[in-house]
Amino acid sequence: MPIIEVNHVTKEYQLGQLQSIKTTMLNQWRQLTGQPVEERAPFKALNDVTFSVEQGEVLGIIGHNGAGKSTMLKLLANISKPSSGTIQVKGKIAPLIEVGAGLIGDLTGRENIYLNGAILGIPKAEIKRKFDDIVAFAELEEFIDTPIKRYSSGMQVRLGFAIATSVESDILIVDEVLAVGDLAFQRKCFDRMEDLIKRQGKTVLLVSHNIRQVERLCNRVILLNKGRAVSDGNANSVCTQFYEASDSQISIGNSTNLNSANSNEWATGEILLHGIEILDSENNPISKLKHEQAVKIQLNYEVTKEIRMPIFGVGIHTTDFIYLATKHTINQLKLDHLEAGHHVLTFDIPSFPFMPGVYSIRAGVAEGTAARTIFYAENLLHLQVVSDNTEDRTWNEGLVSLPGVWRYSTPSSNLKEKTHDNLEKVSL
Amino acid sequence: MIAVVKNLAEYRELMAVLAWKNVTLRYKQAYLGIAWAVIKPLILMLIFTLVKSFVGIDSGNIPYPLLTFAALMPWIFFQESASEGVNSVVGNANLIKKIYFPREIFPITAVVTKVVELGINFIILAGLMIWFQYIPSMYILWVPFIIFYTILAALSIAFAGAALNVYYRDIGTALPVLLSLLMYLSPVIYPLQLVKNKLLEQQAAGEWSNLLYTLYTLNPLAGIIDAFQSVVLRNQPPDLTAMVPGIILVAILLPLSYVFFKRAESYFADVI
Repeated sequence: MPIIEVNHVTKEYQLGQLQSIKTTMLNQWRQLTGQPVEERAPFKALNDVTFSVEQGEVLGIIGHNGAGKSTMLKLLANISKPSSGTIQVKGKIAPLIEVGAGLIGDLTGRENIYLNGAILGIPKAEIKRKFDDIVAFAELEEFIDTPIKRYSSGMQVRLGFAIATSVESDILIVDEVLAVGDLAFQRKCFDRMEDLIKRQGKTVLLVSHNIRQVERLCNRVILLNKGRAVSDGNANSVCTQFYEASDSQISIGNSTNLNSANSNEWATGEILLHGIEILDSENNPISKLKHEQAVKIQLNYEVTKEIRMPIFGVGIHTTDFIYLATKHTINQLKLDHLEAGHHVLTFDIPSFPFMPGVYSIRAGVAEGTAARTIFYAENLLHLQVVSDNTEDRTWNEGLVSLPGVWRYSTPSSNLKEKTHDNLEKVSL
Repeated sequence: MIAVVKNLAEYRELMAVLAWKNVTLRYKQAYLGIAWAVIKPLILMLIFTLVKSFVGIDSGNIPYPLLTFAALMPWIFFQESASEGVNSVVGNANLIKKIYFPREIFPITAVVTKVVELGINFIILAGLMIWFQYIPSMYILWVPFIIFYTILAALSIAFAGAALNVYYRDIGTALPVLLSLLMYLSPVIYPLQLVKNKLLEQQAAGEWSNLLYTLYTLNPLAGIIDAFQSVVLRNQPPDLTAMVPGIILVAILLPLSYVFFKRAESYFADVI
């Protein structure tokens, strides 16, 4: 028995402003005289979307900007109505569409808790009971009787999140709210979300651009693209598909066509990157590679002015710019100087260690013993790592495979001691 | 009808909190605080009293300041309830876009907020009555009903106006102008008795007189103000003949206005 049912929902918006009197009159005149009326085409924010959510399911909704994610949430929260199609929701919904919506600057924290609680539909007795919890969670004990216009923005968001997550509802709708406050508080928010999801078994709809977060929290993901539900299924496969879609949108660069529009490039002009390629062991350029495959990254530089003692570097980062690994030429490749002209540098990776997913390459060049940066670029080339071993479920549990070997043995006094030693070392 | 009331009962806590918020907010960062609620009727009363001394308005045996204050109380309550109600939906755009609860809560809360200010004005009225040595009778028990009727009259404007204001902000701007015109068509500066004398007794407009009087009393405020003055100052029951046309009008307009509001409600978040 699904708790949420969305049937062929379409939502259209009229683009543009309120019609002026002139336009209205002109259209009236045209209608009278039989001329074609100037009509504005409706914009379809959602186009025939159908899905259902079961009790206790954690559904992520991902997609590019303007894909219709927030519109979907607004329809589910009953804030706006679909143009056609039906939505059935059984149970109470708590929308966290924007944390702190309805917080009022002139009121104190205490007053705001009661006000916002009432707006979110928490009965007064319940707010009273939870008051101390909310204040403690938001870490605002000292400031609870201060008007919140004197709060820092982080404090306001903390208060908003603490109130919103104390609503007792069957369905929780979350729109990009986990990125609030400092790191410690983000951690707390995340833990609270996980607690709501895993322990209290609530049905959650989560919209986020943080695909990593969605992958971790959700067991099912819907990918929206231009108002259509493009795919619906297991979190990992849909997220991977989203990465691929992002890739094709960014256009995977090849050796002649660098991904320069999206790369963050910085250069003095002394050296230019002309091409970057990923090659397999037979020196064929590839854009998809297998986990633990042997690959080469080939960089084609043009030096415009002689460089002394260049240091080259190449690195791998995730699409959200987490630097995973970097390797410099220092201690490996000493070049005294490079003359003007074309130069090719190749970096051999005997076994590509990263888990399936989409990664990007960054590269840099520095000159001289002072290591003055003369070229640096990120997001140069996207590469997708695939795995042909579908049985291996570890690939969604990290970014790097851990080299190491498992062994099994029955316990013996000798081994116990050793294990104990090892543990002590670890704890040190 | 029952469903509407049930719905409202379910959200009474929210309405109470929102009304409390409106009251607190208005006076929180103001030095004179809630005293502002009485300043407007008091100043108008003084101006009208001054004007009266030039033009001469027959206020019967009741002192003019007292009579006009008793007229200003329901009038200002109605006027401010209606205009705040009309602006209440647009004024809460941030909530409309983020969260769902029945949207009629906004106009209703705006009106309820004004009840608080009306209550404060009763203190001034009591003061004036003591000053002029007036003792109210049992008829004062009519007051809650008169206020309730005023609320319904204000809501007839507020619902439709608030919904229209979402689409055309002209409404919110135009309404105060229209309402200040309506004041001259209501027995605020002059008592209803003057209109009654002119039209019903002297038949000043000839054969049209009776019709004109009915048209005049079609304005719910005519009946409301007169009834309020009667039960508080004249120790008389309300003049129902002056109230019936207005009551009929409100009984027709209020449901229409409410239905219109509920129809428009679904698109508030898209348009606002």
